[in-house]
Amino acid sequence: MMNEVWIWAEQRGGRLLGISLELLNKGLELSNELKAELAAILIGDRAQNLAQELIAYGAGKIYLIEDPKLKLYQSDIYARIMAGLIEQHKPQILLLGGTAIGMDLAPRVAAKVKTGLTAHCVDLYIEEINNNPCLVAVVPGFGGNLMVKIVCPQQRPQMATVKPGVMEMPSRNEKRAGQIMKVEAQIKDEEFKCQTIEMVEQEPTGVPLEESAVVVAGGWGLNSAGGFKLVEELAEVLGGAVAGTRPAVDAGWISEEQMLGSSGKTISPRLLISIGASGQMHFTTGFLKSKVIVAINNNPKSPIFEVCDIGLVGDLRKIVPCLVEDISSRAPRTHRRADFSSSIPASR
Amino acid sequence: MDFGLSREQEMLRKTVREFAENELRPREAEFSQPEGEWPYDVWNRIAELGLIGLAVPKEYGGSGMGHLARMVAIEEISRVYPGWGAHLRGFGLVPYLLLNHGTEEQKKKYIPRLVKGEIQGSLANTEATGGSDMIGIETTAKLDGDHYIINGRKVMISRSTVSDVFAVTARTGERDRDISAILIEANTPGFQRGRVENLIAHSRTSPVGEFTMTDCRVPVANRVGAEHRGLGVILGAINGAGRTGGAGICLGIAQAAVEIGTKYAKERHLYGKPLTDLQSILFWIGEMERHVVRARWLCYHAAWLLDQGKRPEEIRAEIAMAKLDASEAALHNCLKAIEIHGAYGTATEFGLIRKFKAALDMIAAAGSNNISRLIMSGATVEKY
Amino acid sequence: MDIIVCIKQVPNPEHFSKITIDPQKGTIRREGIPAVVNPLDRHALEEALRIRERFSGKVTAISMGPPQAREALEEALAMGIDDAVLLCDRAFAGADTLATAYALAGAIKKLGKFDLVLCGNETVDGATGQVGPQVAELLGVGHVTYVNKVEFVDGESLIATRTIERGCLKVKVRLPALLAVVREINKFRLPTALSIIEATKKEIKTWTNKDIGAREETIGLSGSPTQVTGGFKLELKRKCEILDDSPEVMAKEAVEKLRELGAI
Repeated sequence: MMNEVWIWAEQRGGRLLGISLELLNKGLELSNELKAELAAILIGDRAQNLAQELIAYGAGKIYLIEDPKLKLYQSDIYARIMAGLIEQHKPQILLLGGTAIGMDLAPRVAAKVKTGLTAHCVDLYIEEINNNPCLVAVVPGFGGNLMVKIVCPQQRPQMATVKPGVMEMPSRNEKRAGQIMKVEAQIKDEEFKCQTIEMVEQEPTGVPLEESAVVVAGGWGLNSAGGFKLVEELAEVLGGAVAGTRPAVDAGWISEEQMLGSSGKTISPRLLISIGASGQMHFTTGFLKSKVIVAINNNPKSPIFEVCDIGLVGDLRKIVPCLVEDISSRAPRTHRRADFSSSIPASR
Repeated sequence: MDFGLSREQEMLRKTVREFAENELRPREAEFSQPEGEWPYDVWNRIAELGLIGLAVPKEYGGSGMGHLARMVAIEEISRVYPGWGAHLRGFGLVPYLLLNHGTEEQKKKYIPRLVKGEIQGSLANTEATGGSDMIGIETTAKLDGDHYIINGRKVMISRSTVSDVFAVTARTGERDRDISAILIEANTPGFQRGRVENLIAHSRTSPVGEFTMTDCRVPVANRVGAEHRGLGVILGAINGAGRTGGAGICLGIAQAAVEIGTKYAKERHLYGKPLTDLQSILFWIGEMERHVVRARWLCYHAAWLLDQGKRPEEIRAEIAMAKLDASEAALHNCLKAIEIHGAYGTATEFGLIRKFKAALDMIAAAGSNNISRLIMSGATVEKY
Repeated sequence: MDIIVCIKQVPNPEHFSKITIDPQKGTIRREGIPAVVNPLDRHALEEALRIRERFSGKVTAISMGPPQAREALEEALAMGIDDAVLLCDRAFAGADTLATAYALAGAIKKLGKFDLVLCGNETVDGATGQVGPQVAELLGVGHVTYVNKVEFVDGESLIATRTIERGCLKVKVRLPALLAVVREINKFRLPTALSIIEATKKEIKTWTNKDIGAREETIGLSGSPTQVTGGFKLELKRKCEILDDSPEVMAKEAVEKLRELGAI
């Protein structure tokens, strides 16, 4: 067995997805701990330049498979190639991004090589189990209420799909060196039980409130700002949805469908920012399960400050514009980071 | 004693609840609008799910699941929107009437179409002289060859603007009790729909109104049951399918109220604690549950007895007690839930006032509570 | 067209907050939580029924689970499918996705020739979305996940449209194949009074491993390469870090904290 940690570097339309780089970073961490080499599998058409990028981001070796027929994701061929490489080189670990395509490819490969696969990991680390260094995967279960730890003690490689947007990005270094191993695809037409014939790109239409990862909710306090403009601006830079309280509906700033609380909607986004709402129970009950809650209000005694993680006491007319500026001034990335930073929300 | 619902009844409850939650709840505001067309699309969905014909045998287009199944369906719909539960109840009376007293021709002519929701039928007994006072009616049906000539005015008729056929009570003889039940179609010349009442729970979905019949010629073949024996025919329907249906509506209201009240009490904090920590409110919650659970057993038992083949007259006390009890449970639970909500209790967004209005309507509807008292008390005197 | 639908009975998502981890064993405790048919499986059942309405044929649902899972199959029958099989055997218990796939594939092979296997893209509990593709691999047929539309070319192939982030892929699929469907594919029907009565008359077959003959080391706990070693409940205790400073300072600090938390 090769002492290698592998990641699958997904590309679409000739660009590396952000998750591919996040996997590299995590892969680096794991391979350092295992004193192993980090390699990436890259499949596509004319992807040499992407291979170079992967090396710059830390991959020591790239298994590069190029073929015009593989420009779009082809499940049968991609899986066959990946399984073939695994059988040949027997890596310890293989990580894939939990994208719509990664989630399609990983289980097929795992079944081909008869190994264990853990889905949607939010954390990965090495732990000694029976004197063996094993990969521990942490995954959210039951709608995120529980975190479960999963291991694959015997079969190899230990496979996992990783939730995009959770792991850190690696740093880029032009000077890094690495090997590019070209692998012939050797495609036979009979292999295609399924064949992707077309990719149709669509700009995402408005994400429903319940599925939005970020929600900015406003209350009556926005009256001082003359309306919801600040809420909408903040939501825009965060790529989130707009919601609010009953008074906000009555004032005509939002529609009934955007109301949160016991007579409105209940949501559990990754981030909920409450602006200008005092935080009465029948409002906050609509979002108590959010991962992170931020509250902005000028009254330090407001009940909203009892249910938030971060509270900002002060004038929202001054605070929100500062937030908008700080957030939109993030350092730009060299590669377009796919901002579907939660994978396609699990259909309900 | 096996108190469990059958697997079929459980699955039916599940499907009706899902229908009510997904297709009725989002449209509550729309249904409650005062004016507008009657929502035929909802009735068609109810027909599609087979809910109209639950107590109708397969040979006439129903599923034959029975009266308990029907009560469960009415309860589940009323838990979300009592107005639709009232329709499921009300539109089931004419089929019931025909099943028990109709000729084969009448059954075949009307029941399948009623069950499919293609046409609707209403019972029309009440007049200005009263509803419970059935002998006091003044509508007449004079025999003319093989036709009746009907003259009269019926009031407070639910769904008067929607139904296509009405089973009316009319005097066909000299004596006080010479009353017959006759089917009259709304397109009969001389049949005229009148004004709609402004009842407290009125909405486009629940029209209650009057109609007049002026020299309406109706074939004698439209009479249901023997001549001059209409009281028994109509009362059978009112007691059997009517009162049990009314009980189902009240059960649904009572159930909704305990759910709404309890959820609110768990979430709302006062003095730094949830309301459920205050013993007085905690006890109200337990009492609400006790009321609806008790009422439910009375009601299910009555419906079960019907399914065992008992005639409504045989079990009139059980049916009367069930409706009365469920009605009181609905009123009690709505009031308590409103109190739990404090000042918000009368706010429209919590839906309690709408449920309470429906509960108020149900005091007199579906066989009034005082008639229930009359029946159950008379039966008790006989019994001991 | 003969279709097999794999369904699963799962805890009712509305009650997820009541599910806990046993602090000593590290196992998931879900007793007493009401169960439902996995929501996406209902879309799979609906799609199968629509295909049957178009092409005629037979729809069979199979489910691997404890005896209680027969309720899920009853509900599937109440939607109108033809036949149902419950795979119930201690030997299947404790299975991860691969071991589950072995059991399901074994049962499907025993059912005989099929044109399509349908399933929901993922379950609400595990939400791995892995069983579908793994069953397909074991059956040696092609698979497509995240399917939101199916268009038949003829009786031997179809075009499946599948969701990806920011768009769709159109995939030409040779039958037999496995499709894992998402919510957007259809609106599923509710059982009607008549279909409920018809359903309760049908018999649900129960198969053990003896009936499907899977090798013991491929199924159940022994057939599971992955294992749960522990878990913890996410604490919803809020940090309540209240900042009271100038707007600029507070905003900067808040944004930094949010980045650390991975919230933005």
